[in-house]
Amino acid sequence: MSSGRREKLVPPEALGDLIAAWLGDADLLALGGLFKQGRPCALVREVIRGGRRDLKLVSSPGSGFDVDVLIAADCVAETFLPAVTLETRMCPAFRGAVEAGTVRAHCVDALSVVGGLMAAAHGVPFQPVVAWKGSDVPRNNPLAAEITCPFTGEALFATRAIRPKLALLHAQEGDRYGNIRHLSTMTYADQMMARASERVIVSVDRLVSTEDIVARSRETTIPCIYVDAVVEMPYGAHPTGSFPLYSIDEAHIETYADVAEAARRARRDGGPESGRDGSGGAGYGLADYLNRVVHVPATQADYLEAIGGEEHLTALEREAASL
Amino acid sequence: MTDTSCTPAELQAFVLSRELKDGEMGAAGASAAIPMAAIMLARHMHAPNIQIAGEMFVNPRPRQLWDSMLDDRALGACEGAETFLELFGHSHRGLDFFFHNGMQIDRFGNINLHFIGGTIDRPRMRGPGAANISYAGTSRRFYICTHAHSPRSFVPRVDFITSPGYLDGPDSFQAAGLKGGPALCVTPLAVMDFDPDSLTMRLKSVHPWGSVEEVVAKTGFALGLPDRVPDTDLPDAETLDLLRRKVDTAGILRH
Repeated sequence: MSSGRREKLVPPEALGDLIAAWLGDADLLALGGLFKQGRPCALVREVIRGGRRDLKLVSSPGSGFDVDVLIAADCVAETFLPAVTLETRMCPAFRGAVEAGTVRAHCVDALSVVGGLMAAAHGVPFQPVVAWKGSDVPRNNPLAAEITCPFTGEALFATRAIRPKLALLHAQEGDRYGNIRHLSTMTYADQMMARASERVIVSVDRLVSTEDIVARSRETTIPCIYVDAVVEMPYGAHPTGSFPLYSIDEAHIETYADVAEAARRARRDGGPESGRDGSGGAGYGLADYLNRVVHVPATQADYLEAIGGEEHLTALEREAASL
Repeated sequence: MTDTSCTPAELQAFVLSRELKDGEMGAAGASAAIPMAAIMLARHMHAPNIQIAGEMFVNPRPRQLWDSMLDDRALGACEGAETFLELFGHSHRGLDFFFHNGMQIDRFGNINLHFIGGTIDRPRMRGPGAANISYAGTSRRFYICTHAHSPRSFVPRVDFITSPGYLDGPDSFQAAGLKGGPALCVTPLAVMDFDPDSLTMRLKSVHPWGSVEEVVAKTGFALGLPDRVPDTDLPDAETLDLLRRKVDTAGILRH
């Protein structure tokens, strides 16, 4: 949590140092958004460029693309993620790494993550959970423990507070003090994560004035007291959607999934050494993808050019506007 | 001329729509085009006052179906939005109805989305896992809706219980403190329900393009077989027209 009201707007060039200062190897990183919407993808690429290793990941109950890219880039050791999927297909890098034993996917569900973030946000050590019955998940869940209700004697569970070292979030608007406004209908677990995490960096598609924030204060989804840094990053959620500004780039995610799936198969069939560059039928490999999209673009503008440029982005804006 | 031939996905949506009652509250979940179609069709038919809630979006008005159904693209037009804070409460209180899919489903309707073979820490095949494992045990009932019907997905015993069905039968179900349980299992080939005494899956009807023999061959456990297995009722032309014109305007269920 931040100390003192101050300017929190940082230029994109400063992100690398900030992330290096606030997130070490093997730390717990929280990622905002849900499935293919509102994910902090530009910030995630910065984490990869910074060469973080052995991270632990937590998110809202549904995640996919950005988590898979982090795993494909060898940044992750453990996940505390309930559902990891691209929805129309599985996450290739996640699946491959867990099957190969290089990533440990802890067995957690929505209530473990939501309850854990709630507990941390509320400043208590755990959250009681009653609604875990019959499933094998709580028995294998490192965040869960059986407890007895002190009032009724009933047996129930506790789920441990989750306190991420750093949360990366994306929203549509924010001001220079770090007041954040989601324009999307759903706000995911972003508000809870902001309150639960030690440090919070938010990318926004556009900066707005503080007067504008004050004029519509009920629409502030995350007040500045929970934010440590805000960065203006147009299309910062791409290829996930940032509603109502731009829709999900399904074609980009599909292309990534094809190369990542080819890499998974190559690694499975050829042993751990041959894997990461296998391109299968995709024409180019996962390493090429990561280079082209993550490592080579020096700025967000370069990235946007690399993924298809203005025409491509206009189509995503048009789709979002038509909904 | 009216085309009354429907796809398996359209028939699944139709079958499920008839199960939902007016005034009930439930949700479809993620990657749930068929369940959402069922809810929307029920709203247009016999249940105009169904409430959709429990998965953040309250009473959404999707203009079309999408392969993913839990985002602003699909459901952003709605009466209100909740957050995961409220998901916590809904999960404990339960809904009237919910829907599940599974990599593995067994004869008691237990669902596995975590892994097949090996162990949870070193699986032979790791699945996506699941977000909400609580609605299965807290809701009044849930429906299993699958995209495939094969011996690989319908197994005698799931390798891992992600979401509980009837566990090992009546005693274990009761001992675990579960309520509700799976009401129907609707696949592209058939409709199954559960024997009220043994709580094991049995064949209820076979879609017109399948046969009892085919369903038995594609189910990896001994399916309960009544003496007479009827064909699944098809939607009439008017209902199918409603489904295509008002619910599935993009033809997602026809792919």
